Amino acid sequence: MSLTDTVPLHASSQSDIDEIENLINASVHSGPATVLPARPPSPPRAQIPPVWDTVKRDLSRIVSNLKLVVFPNPYREDPGKALRDWDLWGPFFFIVFLGLTLSWSASVKKSEVFAVAFAVLAAGAVILTLNVLLLGGQIIFFQSLSLLGYCLFPLDVGAVICLLKDNVILKVIVVCVTLAWSSWAAYPFMSSAVNPRRKALALYPVFLMYVSVGFLIIAID
Amino acid sequence: MMAGKYTHLDNQKVSGSVDSVPAVTDSGEVAIKFADSNLETFPPSQARGKISGGSRPPRDADDTFSKTSLGSDEAQPGGWFRSFTVDAYKPYFDVDTSDVLDRIKESLFPFKGSFTEKTASNPDLYGPFWICTTLIFVAAAIGTFVTYVAHELKNQEWNYDINLVTWSAGVFYGYVTIVPLGLYVILKYFSAPSGLVQLFCLYGYSLFVFIPALCLSVVPLEIFRWVIAGVAGFMSATFVALNLRAHIMSAGERWFFIVAAIFLLQVALSVVLKLYLFTVTV
Repeated sequence: MSLTDTVPLHASSQSDIDEIENLINASVHSGPATVLPARPPSPPRAQIPPVWDTVKRDLSRIVSNLKLVVFPNPYREDPGKALRDWDLWGPFFFIVFLGLTLSWSASVKKSEVFAVAFAVLAAGAVILTLNVLLLGGQIIFFQSLSLLGYCLFPLDVGAVICLLKDNVILKVIVVCVTLAWSSWAAYPFMSSAVNPRRKALALYPVFLMYVSVGFLIIAID
Repeated sequence: MMAGKYTHLDNQKVSGSVDSVPAVTDSGEVAIKFADSNLETFPPSQARGKISGGSRPPRDADDTFSKTSLGSDEAQPGGWFRSFTVDAYKPYFDVDTSDVLDRIKESLFPFKGSFTEKTASNPDLYGPFWICTTLIFVAAAIGTFVTYVAHELKNQEWNYDINLVTWSAGVFYGYVTIVPLGLYVILKYFSAPSGLVQLFCLYGYSLFVFIPALCLSVVPLEIFRWVIAGVAGFMSATFVALNLRAHIMSAGERWFFIVAAIFLLQVALSVVLKLYLFTVTV
């Protein structure tokens, strides 16, 4: 008997083999639907999160950035460290709000006042950043815009107070206080970005911009 | 003893599968030989892409203040595009605080005439730009304050005139941009070329004296204001004229007219400022 001849099988093993064959045939014919899925279930269809969630997330980021930049925190681990999670919504909101407040307080030429305020603030932030870059400082452009915008928050508060109370002396005091606060907030970031021999060159324009905005707040009645 | 017996460790040969560092040989050299071992070696090929030649530490916002910019390693965009990059203007801002203060002090002493020599090698645009911007603010503030006080004294209604800001911006930026440009062209025509940036620098710093002049003009005496305007205009004009005189003399016989024209322009600026900002009609 040669090896190619099939060896007759025992009856029970033959029936086992038949059973297995039947199962295989059945599964092949019935298609993959009945096959238990060895792969993970298909991912659920992506849900678009509600708008409120997105807005809430942005708002919380604005608030946390604001706390980092503007509020006194003696435990700040590195005052010169730039914002990690910068965004431009906060600055945009503060600039527009300041322009609106000034425009509201003005009794004449309201739209011109808004235009000048907005242009000065927006162009001012860009020019201040360019100034630091030209002096050989190392900053990231949009991060700096973001920081300068957040530092406007005290001036916003001052503008609202001046809108509500129209006393010149009070205005001068409020503006001086908020101006000092804004400059204090912007100081560590700006001064650490440039060579120490050029620190004053980078800081003076920041101070100038805040003083001119403060002056606008006082003068508009 | 080099008897060739196998039990001796020969100094020349390192045997065995263990890395061994033979002691100092007879010749006095220390030879370190690593036999091929079964240890895997990890070539640094994966990291090669991250380590540039000369491995610089990573840069971030609070890193070094070195002057070398990242742009110096990259290929410069060609031709006229360069004038739109920040790097093209960096050399004109290469000044320290002490330099700027020095130059401002120079501008207050118009009869020295040494400004051009001091700034010849390193003219800067920082001074002119920020002096102009400060002037715009000071002019708008003082002008507003003066009209406010005048109206208050007569108990009249007063409204903030936002046009002061835009007007003074136009005047100062325009003056510092157009007059040096015009002078540059004229000097080229008379074949006595001067650097354009030097002219900007000179004119920018010459305007500094107007800042204290404007502050002093708050005093409501008309005569006092005219005197201040005259003195400031004269100082500023002399500064510009004296610093350019040596250079313009090489332009030929017409040099006197050019210098006189420069002088008069600056005085005219002072007069215009006085008239616009301090003429209060109540």
